[in-house]
Amino acid sequence: MSKGRILVIDDEPDIVDFLTTLFRDHGFETLSAYDGEAGMELARQYAPDLITLDITMPKKSGVAVFRDLRSDPKLSRVPVYIITGVNEFRQLVYSRSSLPPEGYMEKPIDPEALLRDIETILKNH
Amino acid sequence: MSEPLALKIQEETVPLPYEVLFNEVPCYISIQDREYRILKTNRRFRESFGSKQGSYCYQIYKDRQEKCPVCPVEKTFIDGQSHMSEETWTRQDGSLVQVIVYTTPIYNDEHEIIAVMEMSTDITEVKHLQTKLRASQERLAYLFEEVPCYISIQDKNFRIVRANRKFKEDFGDQVGDYCFSVYKHRDEECLNCPVAATFSDGQVHTSEEVVTSKSGESIHVLVSTAPIRNAHGEITRVMEMSTNITEIRRLQSQLESLGMLVGSISHGIKGLLTGLDGGAYFMKSGLEKDEMERVRKGWAIMERNISKIRSMVLDVLYYAKDREPVWESVQPRELAESVAKILDSKAEKLGIAFRKNLEEEMRPFDGDAKALHSMLVNVLENSFDACRTDKVKPDHAVHFRVWETMEHVFFEIQDNGIGMDQETREKLFCMFFSSKGMEGTGLGLFVANKIVTKHGGKISVESSLGKGSRFLIRIPITKQ
Repeated sequence: MSKGRILVIDDEPDIVDFLTTLFRDHGFETLSAYDGEAGMELARQYAPDLITLDITMPKKSGVAVFRDLRSDPKLSRVPVYIITGVNEFRQLVYSRSSLPPEGYMEKPIDPEALLRDIETILKNH
Repeated sequence: MSEPLALKIQEETVPLPYEVLFNEVPCYISIQDREYRILKTNRRFRESFGSKQGSYCYQIYKDRQEKCPVCPVEKTFIDGQSHMSEETWTRQDGSLVQVIVYTTPIYNDEHEIIAVMEMSTDITEVKHLQTKLRASQERLAYLFEEVPCYISIQDKNFRIVRANRKFKEDFGDQVGDYCFSVYKHRDEECLNCPVAATFSDGQVHTSEEVVTSKSGESIHVLVSTAPIRNAHGEITRVMEMSTNITEIRRLQSQLESLGMLVGSISHGIKGLLTGLDGGAYFMKSGLEKDEMERVRKGWAIMERNISKIRSMVLDVLYYAKDREPVWESVQPRELAESVAKILDSKAEKLGIAFRKNLEEEMRPFDGDAKALHSMLVNVLENSFDACRTDKVKPDHAVHFRVWETMEHVFFEIQDNGIGMDQETREKLFCMFFSSKGMEGTGLGLFVANKIVTKHGGKISVESSLGKGSRFLIRIPITKQ
């Protein structure tokens, strides 16, 4: 029985691989997208239980994806977990008038902390 | 006056009304005969030179024993005209006085010149001021010429009417030419010209400009302008004073670069550490589950990230100091093949055609294989990125060609990606200039260019926005 469906959006294939494997190993179903546009499409199509989102990506940045998610009536309640290497973007994401992301972690990723955060978010949601 | 004047002069008994004037006028007045003997003097004269009636003029003024070589009194005796001269006399107290002397003839009834009146004004103070003025003018001129800035004076049409030595040294003796043509090689005036602003509002204006010297060198200048007004208060000229701040800007940009370098490295390292963590997770969980496939995948990720760290460190080293190439004999084809191999998987992943055209038989050349390898990977990766980010064309291709001539080996990398506008093209090899937003560190092409330059080679770029770019790298076969 799956603990939930997580959509991983990151332009770095190694990181997508890492995160999806980590989540699958811990009982989640996963979806993956390598850029913002593909991520939005998958989100609309499969309504995941949680989305992990990278910020600096080609085509559509994580900030734009986050804004679109929050303004989409069907997706605005989906918890978003930001995973980024650029700490300046924290300000950018948090200063928006929409609901702040449910989770935030700066790279490098601490797998145990990430899993713990995600399980807490899903439990309280 | 019916009485002969000469008589009256000699009498000197009854003061006549004009005598009062004669005595009180604030000049030295003397009347002399043909022998330059003083016949009569006024009070002011006597105060300064004593009452030496009957003495010779040259004795009194100059302590000479004979007549001066040039004498205005003599001239007046000869031609009956008034004459003027400038003289330095010695007062009876020994002090010097500078005077301007006017002479005028005195006639008798037969219209013969019987005496000459010499009227002299003390101009010592004027002379003194004149000397001071000249000295300050000379100082000003010296300052204008020697001040370590570029100074030019321009008219309303931005023509240079005067320029100082430093200006002429670096920009040529361009008096009469337009400022914009001298400084920027332009055909028309610049936008936001501080000289134009000063002409219009009479205020001091400043701006920072990049100008080109006569030797073609780019010079950063801090420009200040000030109005020059005529007697009616109208602005007829504007003075432009420019300080060369190229060195300051260079140091500043180096400092900024260092800051950016630290930022971009820490950003890059975070990403790479995440990759390593991922690899480690695959390997660890693979070993626990006894899944070799996972271990292999983890190892591949580790290797990729380690190699990225290596090339990053090399980039930084190249930036941090002028690393000299480690010379060896390099096989162009081998080099190109090993580079192409790295990019093959990227091409496949991105769905971009990667066409290689490597000449079969090529001679080895002198080079630093590792540095050239990273340089070619850098340039190729840029081309792939340019294709990846182009959303207009349906298909993309990167061409990689290598060939040799008698003296050079050529590497050509051509893509049909997004292409570059002129600004991007010009700044392409500048440090930390990146057109990729947060994606790029802005080090890659800067270092690539440095590597090629260290090899005595050259990278040339052709590009047009929306169409694609072509990089041509030329390396000498024999080390220079």
